[in-house]
Amino acid sequence: MFGQLIINGLAVGSLYALVALAMVIIYKASEVPNFAQGEMAMVSTYFAYMLLISNQVSWHVALLGTLVFAFALGMVLEFLFVRRAKDPTVLDLIIVTLGMQLVLHGLAGWKWGPDQKDFPLPISDTDVVQVGGLVISYLNLTTMIAALLLMGLLYAFFQYTKIGVAMKATQQNWMAARINGIRTNHILGITWGISSVIGAIAGVLFAPTSTLDPHLMWDPLIKGFAAAVMGGMNSLVGAALGGYLLGFIENLFGLYISLEFKSIVAFLAIVLVLWFRPSGLFSKHYERRV
Amino acid sequence: MAALLKVENLTKHFGGILALDHLSFEVQEGEIYSIIGPNGAGKTTLFNCISGLYRPDEGSIVFDGQELIGLKPHRIAEMGIARTFQNIELFSNMTTMDNLMLGRHIHMRSGVWHSLFLPWRKSLTAREEVAHRARIEEIIDFLELQSARNQLVKSLPYGRQKLVELGRALALEPKLLLLDEPSAGMNTEERQDLFFWLQDIKEDLGITIVMIEHNMQMVMDVSDRILAIDFGKKLAEGPPEEVANHPDVIKAYLGEDEDESAAVARQ
Amino acid sequence: MDMKRDYFEDVQLLKDRAQKIWFGILIITLILFPFVSPNYYIYLINYIAINVIVTVGLNLLIGYTGQISLGHAGFFAIGAYATTLLMLKLHVPFLLAILIAGFLAAAFGFLLGLPALRLEGPYLAIATLGFGMAVTTIIGRVPLFGGHMGLQTPPLSIGPFVAKNDREIYVVIMLFTFLMTLAARNITRTRVGRALIAIRDSDIAAEALGVNIAYYKTLAFAISAFYTGVAGGLMAFVLGFINPNIFDLLQSILFLAMVVVGGAGTILGSVMGAAVVSFLHIKLEAVQNIPGVGQFLVYLSQKWLSVSGLPNFTFVLFGLILIFIVVFERLGLYGIWLRSKIYWRTWPF
Ligand SMILES: Nc1ncnc2c1ncn2[C@@H]1O[C@H](COP(=O)(O)OP(=O)(O)OP(=O)(O)O)[C@@H](O)[C@H]1O
Ligand SMILES: [Mg+2]
Repeated sequence: MFGQLIINGLAVGSLYALVALAMVIIYKASEVPNFAQGEMAMVSTYFAYMLLISNQVSWHVALLGTLVFAFALGMVLEFLFVRRAKDPTVLDLIIVTLGMQLVLHGLAGWKWGPDQKDFPLPISDTDVVQVGGLVISYLNLTTMIAALLLMGLLYAFFQYTKIGVAMKATQQNWMAARINGIRTNHILGITWGISSVIGAIAGVLFAPTSTLDPHLMWDPLIKGFAAAVMGGMNSLVGAALGGYLLGFIENLFGLYISLEFKSIVAFLAIVLVLWFRPSGLFSKHYERRV
Repeated sequence: MAALLKVENLTKHFGGILALDHLSFEVQEGEIYSIIGPNGAGKTTLFNCISGLYRPDEGSIVFDGQELIGLKPHRIAEMGIARTFQNIELFSNMTTMDNLMLGRHIHMRSGVWHSLFLPWRKSLTAREEVAHRARIEEIIDFLELQSARNQLVKSLPYGRQKLVELGRALALEPKLLLLDEPSAGMNTEERQDLFFWLQDIKEDLGITIVMIEHNMQMVMDVSDRILAIDFGKKLAEGPPEEVANHPDVIKAYLGEDEDESAAVARQ
Repeated sequence: MDMKRDYFEDVQLLKDRAQKIWFGILIITLILFPFVSPNYYIYLINYIAINVIVTVGLNLLIGYTGQISLGHAGFFAIGAYATTLLMLKLHVPFLLAILIAGFLAAAFGFLLGLPALRLEGPYLAIATLGFGMAVTTIIGRVPLFGGHMGLQTPPLSIGPFVAKNDREIYVVIMLFTFLMTLAARNITRTRVGRALIAIRDSDIAAEALGVNIAYYKTLAFAISAFYTGVAGGLMAFVLGFINPNIFDLLQSILFLAMVVVGGAGTILGSVMGAAVVSFLHIKLEAVQNIPGVGQFLVYLSQKWLSVSGLPNFTFVLFGLILIFIVVFERLGLYGIWLRSKIYWRTWPF
């Protein structure tokens, strides 16, 4: 029973972790909580859907196409909108991302209509693998593995590639990075691209368990935020751990308290964590300079 | 004369930096007490501890017979301590008048409910607004801020902004006034005016002043006593002449001249 | 000083004759309006007036205190459901019901304001977003609230007066809007309002002057929630029914858009923002009927998107407007209004 709980928690947690990672990458780079993150993933998922259904391409190609699309989408949004605000305050940036959220939500509804579509991923959500007494669906297994793989890739990216290191430098000290010849604007665009790709993967993996409509990512959005907040908004490792933890708590809550109200766990988690540990579960607190 | 403010063994760390190191001193009622020291010596940190913005690691701060440590900043203000900030902290989108009116905040009572009756001249809110504006007008006259009265403070020149901040602190009618580098950024003429105002505040209003100041001329002219600190520790304390000629003080300032980058690095 | 000033002038609503005349014209227009206007426009004005209440309340929080909320649809829902249920189930009279609903929303606002004390910008936005979503989740799942089908609103009655149509509801709504807008203006001009603005502009200076930040921040949340709750209660009667979908995330963003479009930190701006955004929102539901633009959008829809999804154009437009405002005119309509006033004063020089 408990083992199954952990498995289920890890499976949804992987998804939350991905969304949280996507957010934190952007947050670290520019202190924007990206409220368009969910909609970016939703639009990318629709794009995958379109490739699969209307264009009848094989799903490998569709997936690859979607990733390219997502990357471009992230870069374009950053270039078109985020970059335009001059000396933005936090509120300004939040408003810009909300504006993008509306634009994307509207465009998706406009193009694909409000009706719910089934997302045809050739990985079954119902067929299961059995290990010991535990069951896990192929889709959940894929999600878990994909999440781990992505985390590994991200780690390697930040650690070993030139761009990744430059990104890290920019996050730590924008001014110094600039002086050292890093093109920080460029870096920010790439950051948005990468974040968008991670979100898109989460969307594609999530859509089969839900139905595809413009609201697809609302729920994962708030959970991603919850996970990111638990991790302190500032740490990739924290975000991933936060995602798993949230998935686990949610399943625990669903089992012992209420299945119906499972989805308010995210909100409670945000409030409680912020109340007791305002800078997240895994980071330390700073005294503000006066 | 009794000590109005008594600081004992005050200590404050920031990570590895020891900003205040067992600092002790007393301020007598009615005096102008200046604090000097090189950049990063811990002067502003001391003010922030007194006004409750930082919580010290150790020590005590007794004001008017009551311990301040652990109190919220607004409670400390209510007890009669007002301050200005090194980097001006005005309410930049308000007029001078409204900025000063915030100094009256603790002397007013009207809350949400009362304010609904503002249109009636006899209402508590209206009466308060009128009465306290009249008080503010006195401060505006005192500091010669008439022309700035209805201007947004962000549109005022730097020197005047500093005055508005001073006026706002005075509006609180404090017993103790903490001034963090009041003359920084002022020209000679403005500094001269400030000199006279400080004396008036001390003599006519009877307010005790603790002042952080880098301009030695100003410090020497206006202070009753001076405290010199470095690395959060007391170097010397006493009448102006005595402190200015104290060997440790001279060394601290000369050291700064010889190697300014060291001081910068400490920040 | 030799000349004695009358400081009451400083805080008076109407300072000179011109203002008094304009104010008089406004009141007469509002009174005459239902007698001359076609029904449809009365519905529209009711809708706008309710949004004015929300926007004014939300602006007290965002524009004045500098705290953000993406969860105001939650308070809106609380107000609407509480009013409706109190009247339906407990037969509480309308005025009492909506007052209780307002205070209930305020209580939730207060509670949400507590964690908000420790949060700055981004965190607060996230927490309030979560709050709004939690509220819709809960009302969608509890049978008492009618689940996803929602509830039918009872008729609006005050004593013997029963409002049977939009025209009669107008009277009630307009009174609420007028009084609450005036109240907000009084609050912002006096001690409490100054404390709120002070917190926004420099919280440390405010604290050092004796402003109890924790108190005023939660107070701002509570007042703002009260306004939104009352507005929600009124909206229930304009719509005739309520269900969870009305109070979703998009609604919260729409409220925020009204504040931003009007101009953060101004009451007059709130009125303008609520009016323009609500008007567009309703008008654009049938965007295809607007000459020129409509045809072009239909053509665009046929060619690239879909005709059935055309109503979503509204969101795209609002999104672009939000971004536009941040990039070009942060004070929104109020800023434009200020500038045009200066322009006309100096025209044609
Ligand atoms: N909130 C904080 N977090 C970390 N370090 C701080 C903080 N506030 C002050 N410090 C450090 O404490 C030391 C003392 O700083 P403080 O501002 O008190 O100096 P000061 O004497 O006022 O200097 P100045 O003359 O430059 O104003 C400095 O090294 C400073 O960097
Ligand atoms: Mg200092």
